[in-house]
Amino acid sequence: MSKTSAADRLDVLGTSRRRFLASTAMGLVVLATSGVKARVLFGTGLPWDSGATDPPRQVLPGPWQFFTPREGEVVEAIVERLIPADELSVSGKDAGCAVFIDRQLAGHYGTSDRLYMKGPFQPGLPTQGDQTDLTPAKKYRLGLKALDAHCRTAMDGKGFTDLSPEQKDSLLAAMEKDEVAFDGPVGSGSFFSLVLQNTMEGFFADPIYGGNRDMVSWKMIGFPGTRYDYRDFVLKHNQKYPLPPVSIGGRSDWARKG
Amino acid sequence: MTRTRLAAAAAVTVLLAAAPRAEAADQDFAQIERGRYIAVTADCVACHSAPGGKPYAGGSALQTPFGTLVAPNITPDRETGIGSWTEEDLRRTLQDGVGRGGKRLYPAMPYPAYTKMTDDDIHALWAYLQTLAPVRNQVDVNQLPFPFNVRLVMAGWNLLNFEPGRFKPDPQKSPEWNRGAYLVEALGHCGTCHTPKTMLGADDTGKALQGANLQAWYAPSITADSRKGIGGWTAEQLTAYLKTGANHQSLASGPMAEEIQNSSSRMTDADLSAIAAYLLDGKGSASGQGGGGPAPLAADDARMTAGSAIYTDSCMACHGGDGKGQTFLFPTLAGSGVVQADDPATLIRLVLDGSRAVATDTRPTGPAMPPLGWRLDDAQVAAVVTYIRNSWRNAAAPVGVDDVAKVRRTLAEAQ
Repeated sequence: MSKTSAADRLDVLGTSRRRFLASTAMGLVVLATSGVKARVLFGTGLPWDSGATDPPRQVLPGPWQFFTPREGEVVEAIVERLIPADELSVSGKDAGCAVFIDRQLAGHYGTSDRLYMKGPFQPGLPTQGDQTDLTPAKKYRLGLKALDAHCRTAMDGKGFTDLSPEQKDSLLAAMEKDEVAFDGPVGSGSFFSLVLQNTMEGFFADPIYGGNRDMVSWKMIGFPGTRYDYRDFVLKHNQKYPLPPVSIGGRSDWARKG
Repeated sequence: MTRTRLAAAAAVTVLLAAAPRAEAADQDFAQIERGRYIAVTADCVACHSAPGGKPYAGGSALQTPFGTLVAPNITPDRETGIGSWTEEDLRRTLQDGVGRGGKRLYPAMPYPAYTKMTDDDIHALWAYLQTLAPVRNQVDVNQLPFPFNVRLVMAGWNLLNFEPGRFKPDPQKSPEWNRGAYLVEALGHCGTCHTPKTMLGADDTGKALQGANLQAWYAPSITADSRKGIGGWTAEQLTAYLKTGANHQSLASGPMAEEIQNSSSRMTDADLSAIAAYLLDGKGSASGQGGGGPAPLAADDARMTAGSAIYTDSCMACHGGDGKGQTFLFPTLAGSGVVQADDPATLIRLVLDGSRAVATDTRPTGPAMPPLGWRLDDAQVAAVVTYIRNSWRNAAAPVGVDDVAKVRRTLAEAQ
């Protein structure tokens, strides 16, 4: 085997030694220049400004912001059946799920402001999620209209709110299987899954967003809420975690009693 | 003569001529460097510079109980700075509180402290100020309302409150102690913030360094008292605080963060040790021990139970269930002088507005505490602050809802 010099190997690559050295020097110059451009992030500490807060706003019950009064009644009736009052918790309605959904639909969730919504809109695969131009707000508007229309024709002229609990449950169960024919572009199956999803969000999200009143769901499942440091408890094995849940907005024990 | 020889000869001549000059320049340099260090120690830049402005070219508005003052331009610009001053003008400014042309100063300029400066130090400071690049920046210094805007008023004030005179070393004490005393009382003018003021805005000398309120911060006691002051700290812990902004217990923020950044972090270790020797002299006294101090509130007091719930939910994640925090990151609340101070203003404002600790070369993180004023109402802040002041062997008077409302108003006005 013959020895090849470094220069020979460079020649094999079609590069002369001079060119190699020149390009290396260029590389060093580039490196050095980019080093000069690097910014030194020192001297200020972590970000903080006096008075600069963007606190979340506590959603309060009150007039509907998105729903019409009729739509609000229907949604309350639905969430009351999706999460009925039982020995575990109050109902979805009493936990504020309808208020939560209303405020979400009135905000950027309802308008899809933070999503790309300019099309082209083409049918996609189930794994690709929602591909329509319908915002959640439009889906609720159309879905609720279709639901009430269906009830008036199929349920002896009654609205959804006039049905018995059993009738509501069986209608919702049929919608879940997409077996109810809805007029318009929103199918009963997709409408049901949207409402169910939003109801769960309202029931388990922080009370500051209008649902999960008094942290009812967190107390039910033992979720500690907006705590984020457990050093005092991490080594206490096989002991019950002693602290009650807390919301972004606090809890009732913060008020002075007496 | 060849050209080379000519050049060589010229070079020798230049060298010969330069030799005595170089010596003079060395002396000048030493003098100027000493002056620079004095300017750092006296923290001139803190008031005489505006945020984002050129150093020493004039400050931003300083709110005093009597009105607004702005520190002037002290670069050697002839028209807007001190370019037309003499060294004697500077000496009289610092030692007598009387500026060029007999203009009387307001004690926002701490001449009641600088009066103790030695002539040598002023000479060096003058040499340094001469080397600054002149900056043209007209400053409207006196924005006080009538009658305080009449400078002659200060003649009467000085008569009552100002005692001119150089620092007098105590021969009974060590040179280190005396250096520390000079740094604390004269150059460092610690009392400007840490000594309570009389009705007339003068230092209440009977209560030197026992803590004072300014700009909605309470500058805590820096006496050797072990409960309210810093008597619980060792000399090493105190020098670490002054040098790096953080020690085993505390992190500097607010006006003290600025002081550390501009001044004490740039002092020599020997000077910081001297300050510790002076401030911690007489350590071991505690206003709260052996009777006389307050007893902690009972744990079942309604303010304490509410405060405990709030602390658990809003403070404990960083400061710990035992109030010990995390060294160099989250201050220790147990045993803290700021926490147990008679005036809870600093503690209240930290809860309401949060703060950011100083970032220094040694401790570059500069951790920040988020504001909680949006999450807690005045009664809740009062409860949690009362709880912190009376837990983990802390003991201090409970804090009222009005105290919190007052600090919240002051903070809102400052926005």
